[in-house]
Amino acid sequence: MTAVSDAATSSALRTREATVRRFAFTDMAFRTATRLSAILVLVLLGGVAISLVTGSWEALSKFGFSFLTTESWNPVTENFGALAPIYGTIVTSAIAILIAVPIGIGIAVFLTELCPRPLRRPIGIAVELLAGIPSIIYGIWGLFVFAPFLQTTIQPFVIWLFKGIPGLNSLFAGPPYGIGLLTSSMILAIMVLPFITSITKDVFDTVPAVLKESAYGIGCTTWEVTRRVTIPYTRVGIMGGVMLGLGRALGETMAVTFVIGNAHRISASLFAPGTTISATIANEFTEADGDLYTSSLVSLGLILFIITFIILALARYMLLRIDSRTGA
Amino acid sequence: MKPMLSTDLNAADTTVEKAKIEVKNLNFYYGQSKALKDINLSLPERSVTAFIGPSGCGKSTLLRVLNRIYELYPKQSAEGQVLLDGKNILDRSQDLNLLRTKIGMVFQKPTPFPMSIYENIAFGVRLYEKISKAEMDSRVEQALKRAALWNEVKDKLNASGLSLSGGQQQRLCIARTVAVKPEVILLDEPASALDPLSTAKIEELIDELQADYTIVIVTHNMQQAARVSRQTAFMYLGELVEFDRTEKIFTSPREKRTQDYITGRFG
Repeated sequence: MTAVSDAATSSALRTREATVRRFAFTDMAFRTATRLSAILVLVLLGGVAISLVTGSWEALSKFGFSFLTTESWNPVTENFGALAPIYGTIVTSAIAILIAVPIGIGIAVFLTELCPRPLRRPIGIAVELLAGIPSIIYGIWGLFVFAPFLQTTIQPFVIWLFKGIPGLNSLFAGPPYGIGLLTSSMILAIMVLPFITSITKDVFDTVPAVLKESAYGIGCTTWEVTRRVTIPYTRVGIMGGVMLGLGRALGETMAVTFVIGNAHRISASLFAPGTTISATIANEFTEADGDLYTSSLVSLGLILFIITFIILALARYMLLRIDSRTGA
Repeated sequence: MKPMLSTDLNAADTTVEKAKIEVKNLNFYYGQSKALKDINLSLPERSVTAFIGPSGCGKSTLLRVLNRIYELYPKQSAEGQVLLDGKNILDRSQDLNLLRTKIGMVFQKPTPFPMSIYENIAFGVRLYEKISKAEMDSRVEQALKRAALWNEVKDKLNASGLSLSGGQQQRLCIARTVAVKPEVILLDEPASALDPLSTAKIEELIDELQADYTIVIVTHNMQQAARVSRQTAFMYLGELVEFDRTEKIFTSPREKRTQDYITGRFG
């Protein structure tokens, strides 16, 4: 009796051990496969970084640090400086963010606090669809519709309005070309709006209902609740959304290339044509004949890579902080 | 088993005291479903009234009608009358922000605002009053003293309200409510998320506050209702079953359902 049950137990044990061994193998295979996939990303990222550095080596070793501080970009004399594209990139992105943030937060507040329920989804979806429009479409729309509109109506008016005012008159000076820094900024603002809106809306939804109730409960208006409770509570998350939008704006190529005018110079006027890093690369890669020319374009790419990397790292970090706070 | 009673047995009968809030034929709906059925009730001034009853009986809902906080959510609606000093607050013309400065509310979970301890209190005051820094300082101090929190936080008024312990946060919320100088304070299970020591402090505080304020407290804890309140309303399935002086409810209730609930036979 005991012997039989012993045998039964030991055979059951053996099958169990075999199963465990099989599991251990599949488990290991699975772990290795996922780890390899993860490492592949790092390898790709590293590969991009390395090829950017080696590609830009020739230009960077020739021009050194002055590459960053030189405005001139002359393919004929092979004298290249990145200051104008860097300036254009940062200025257009910064203005885009300045325009998009208040509008984006406004939409988010409307959607979470004020919007009648039946309208909530349609408006939310419409905003997110903006993110789905290919940038080339923003480009042609900007060039054929938006720029001529600005050229004939708003720009002449603004130039006339600020004519006598020191500071503003040079900021909004010059012939109204239609295309230029400000036009690009406005197009970029439209393009980053959905990012800012949807992240802001999501973090607004993380505010506990009872926290808002208690603010309403001491007699706050919606504006006061938003201004003093909702936004401070979600500040970090909003910053993260803004940073993601900024990262997008910095790298945007097609739409900007269409409407910025592609001029390698820095002008005080926002109506003047300029250029950005990505627009320069897109425009000139085909005609870059010399090695130094190509290498200078790659250097621009490296600079953009670094700027975007820093911005996105900041965004990640900020979103991480709000996650750990609401999770607690 | 006789419940503990801290209430004055000689307290005047609820019917002869001046009513601060009168609820008349109140019905309340969440969408289609009726959550309060024809409630009639009169809350006397400067005393504590407790709403008790099993979960889902409508006691919190009734509380949320009193400052119309339910209106933040669509599809919730109230019918009938709620008179505050004889004026119907369910009237459309009633200004909600003004109403809520008169009727303060403290919630189950502490809800400090994302700002400093000082600002948590000053914020509400500043909404409706323009007062100097010195006046504000004394106002904050008074409010914190009222909430028995001053000694614990006086050296760190600039620290975040979120850095306090749960019990302290809840007293901060009471201080914040008191600072706005309301007439009525609504407490929605104010101690259910707190440890017994903090609970005792909150109960002591409620006892002191009733000298100046009309207080309504919703609680799951029957001993708590017995300890702090002068009147108790027992609710069940959206109906007001019985409303009387607390010691009456806990010693000789009229209704069988009340008796069953307070003796723990259901709920």
